[in-house]
Amino acid sequence: MVTPTSSPSAPKELTTALAQHFARNQRWGFVWALWTAILWGAWYVPGTALWFEHPFADIPADAQALRLAATAVMTWVHAIAVFVFLMLWNGVLGKVKDYGRTIVRFKKISKWYALASLCGGPMAIFGSYMAMGFVGPVFAAVTSLFYPVIGAMVARLWYHEKISGRAAIGMAVIIFGGIVIYGPGLFGEVGKEANPMAWLGYLGGAMSAIGWGTEGAVAARAMDVSDPDVGIQCRFTFEIFFWGLIILPILALFTDLPILTLIKDTILEPQAMIWIFLAASCHAYCYTSWYKSFSLIGVARGEAIGNLYAIFALIFIAAFTLQFPQWYFIVGLILTVSGSFIMFSEPAASIEHLRDHSSSEKRA
Amino acid sequence: MKLHQKGFLLVHLNLSESLWDHEIIAATLNEYELQGAYWENHIRVSLDELAAGGLITRLEEKLVKQHGQAILQFRYQVSPFGKTRIVDAGLED
Repeated sequence: MVTPTSSPSAPKELTTALAQHFARNQRWGFVWALWTAILWGAWYVPGTALWFEHPFADIPADAQALRLAATAVMTWVHAIAVFVFLMLWNGVLGKVKDYGRTIVRFKKISKWYALASLCGGPMAIFGSYMAMGFVGPVFAAVTSLFYPVIGAMVARLWYHEKISGRAAIGMAVIIFGGIVIYGPGLFGEVGKEANPMAWLGYLGGAMSAIGWGTEGAVAARAMDVSDPDVGIQCRFTFEIFFWGLIILPILALFTDLPILTLIKDTILEPQAMIWIFLAASCHAYCYTSWYKSFSLIGVARGEAIGNLYAIFALIFIAAFTLQFPQWYFIVGLILTVSGSFIMFSEPAASIEHLRDHSSSEKRA
Repeated sequence: MKLHQKGFLLVHLNLSESLWDHEIIAATLNEYELQGAYWENHIRVSLDELAAGGLITRLEEKLVKQHGQAILQFRYQVSPFGKTRIVDAGLED
């Protein structure tokens, strides 16, 4: 226990200590957000490799329903593996009991994590796969880049998160950098041919941006009264529940899709399970970092720095596949890094209060 | 079942007009039968998060020497928004 053992220090020392305190919090917030981007980028390697293993490699590219069913199965097994890694994390941190105490308060607290899992799971992931399947992977990547805009807007309108002019400029520069990286590829995808189902892809793109953007804002709503490490485990508990007890049983019962066979083949395929566990280890700690950053620097900044995954994904893919990005990657890299520095250059005191509660009594 | 730790911090602080962080830390360690620097720091981070979210406000700060190191301490109070969130989140049910 800490107890005061001497008289208060001189005001100058106090001012310096306060400045250091807020600078440390700001630095940790950005460090967590940067880890989000690194691990999210790393996730693309095992996440993509998984599609080259049985049973997923056997699914024809034009079998859209079967691919979506495979995605659902893959996401469920992946969520279970993420849960295992999160249990390990919270076990080491001594927070497993707090997880139990938090998740049982469903009506007032953990319901927000359930909603966050719906936004980030079925809505965003399915939306992203729809965008990939019906328009193209570049389009899916570009639409996802806009999720911080949605997150910032929801956080601003819902619980009045403060977004300074500098943070907004930094966010815009990061998003523009992402568009420079992926955007040129769009010309080869969008409007290339008269695809009557393309609207499903555009709808999916919107779903992914809205889903991931909203997830951050919704989760932050519960995280103001609960622990982020515990919150992310609650979120994945609900995701396992939604896929495993609602969506997959409905698909198995009311469609001809081979859900049980897909589950069995996935679990019994060691190569697929290795990729799933590698992807889950990245995803578990990527999400943990993401949630932790929200508490320290806010949803808008956390999501914008998290958007640097666009850079790290290409770096990791180049490192593992020797497929090097186009020259304009460098321009995008300069822009996204500049945007990050613009955000980080905000005065540390600006993150002392993340929300504007000047008339908080009127709000719920 | 006990409240989760962040909920306890809010409710305990709300019982008083204001408290210094070392008082909140002592009460929390006692409530959850914990000890050590790791948990003290963990509670301080939670208090920082609550303050950043606007649920508690810092009324005063001071530097104290502990084991030869200067430690920054804060006196906290639950804000009007924090009181609203205590009710919303059912922490006093």
